[in-house]
Amino acid sequence: MDEQELISRSKSGDVEAFNLLVEQYQRQVYNLALRMLGNSEAAEDASQDTFLSAYKAIGKFRGGSFKSWVLHIAANSCRDKLRVARRYRIISLDTLLLEPDSLPQANNTESPEDYALRRELGRFLSEGLAHLPEDQRLVVILSDVQGLRYEEVAQVTGSSLGTVKSRLNRGRTRLRDFLLQREELLPSKFRLNK
Amino acid sequence: MFRGKGGPLCRKVRGMLSEYIDNSLNSEDKSFIERHIETCEACSKELESLRMTVQLLHRVPEVSVPRSFTVTVPQPRRESAFGPSSLRWLRPATAIVAVALVVLLMGDFLHGFENNAGVNSGAGNVTFSAVQSIPSSAAQQQTMVTVPGVMGQMSLATAKAVGYTDYTVLPSPLVSQPIAQPVPTVLGNEEITEARVMAQGEAGVGWPLRQTEIGLGAAVFVLLALMIFARRQRKKGVGAR
Repeated sequence: MDEQELISRSKSGDVEAFNLLVEQYQRQVYNLALRMLGNSEAAEDASQDTFLSAYKAIGKFRGGSFKSWVLHIAANSCRDKLRVARRYRIISLDTLLLEPDSLPQANNTESPEDYALRRELGRFLSEGLAHLPEDQRLVVILSDVQGLRYEEVAQVTGSSLGTVKSRLNRGRTRLRDFLLQREELLPSKFRLNK
Repeated sequence: MFRGKGGPLCRKVRGMLSEYIDNSLNSEDKSFIERHIETCEACSKELESLRMTVQLLHRVPEVSVPRSFTVTVPQPRRESAFGPSSLRWLRPATAIVAVALVVLLMGDFLHGFENNAGVNSGAGNVTFSAVQSIPSSAAQQQTMVTVPGVMGQMSLATAKAVGYTDYTVLPSPLVSQPIAQPVPTVLGNEEITEARVMAQGEAGVGWPLRQTEIGLGAAVFVLLALMIFARRQRKKGVGAR
């Protein structure tokens, strides 16, 4: 069953069809939420909220990229979580963003050293992303971590193409500065000044 | 970091480096940047460090989902008659019954107060014992007697006035009258009649009123209990998740 058919069946209330779409995009949504929020529990909440909101609003989906539409909802859900965390000081934003990642186990081809390096790099980059302003962080994650095109990023963020390019440039530069300042902490393999 | 004291040309180039890395510049801008970085070491280093940063970001591992985020649609629960939505009618119903009870109680209280005031302002405390202790002159007017040697009956007062001392008192109609009947107006005491009517009212009209008040009080109590129950049911209610 192709995506368009799943969407049209979801619009008529077929929850099974919608759940097939969920299974298709839940990994991407969860990873976006995890990189935006830096906390697995908050990311789970945001992901569940995303798909519940998407199910309720599927009737309003007017075509186009379903992935962009779902990621747009996910981005809004993450913004809401960050806003609530800031407003009510439920948890310090630094703590929220700097919690160590739960990386998947190393596969058979990856040596324990490589797994440890990858884990260290993931933690380091998560810390760097946490230091970016929210709008720049979102664009950097969508473009450089998730590999979306500029047009898709613009759809997800609801901004113009020029804004996306500008935020991406500033976000990358800022992240680069963060990494350079702590380069001695970065594994030698990944250092920027070699 | 690598931002030297480049002039406007360097600033322009650095603003385009991100797009250059993503290979999204047109050929003209692309060749402009390439010409510039050949001669500008600071911009060249800036480009390399940014490129490395982007490469590192590409290596950020994707995390597998800890659980499925599929949506479950809750089965519509059959709500009891006094479930959460019944609060919509329970609230106004309780308010109406409570107001009716208050109005009834106030009216009852004021009515009773006025009656007491009216009776007390008359010729003293008029009670049934007062009716029974009728002044002797009046009793004598009503009490009929027979005198030996005299035909027919006469009132006790007449017999005494004539000077008969030997007479037989006949059963008095006043004594045999039901207590609730109006007192003869010969007494000139209208309050007594009113008191008797009142006594009739207390016994005949008062009891249904009390019954209504008790019923309304019980209804308020039951409605309040139902409201508390419905509120608890609403708090227990779960969302979609």
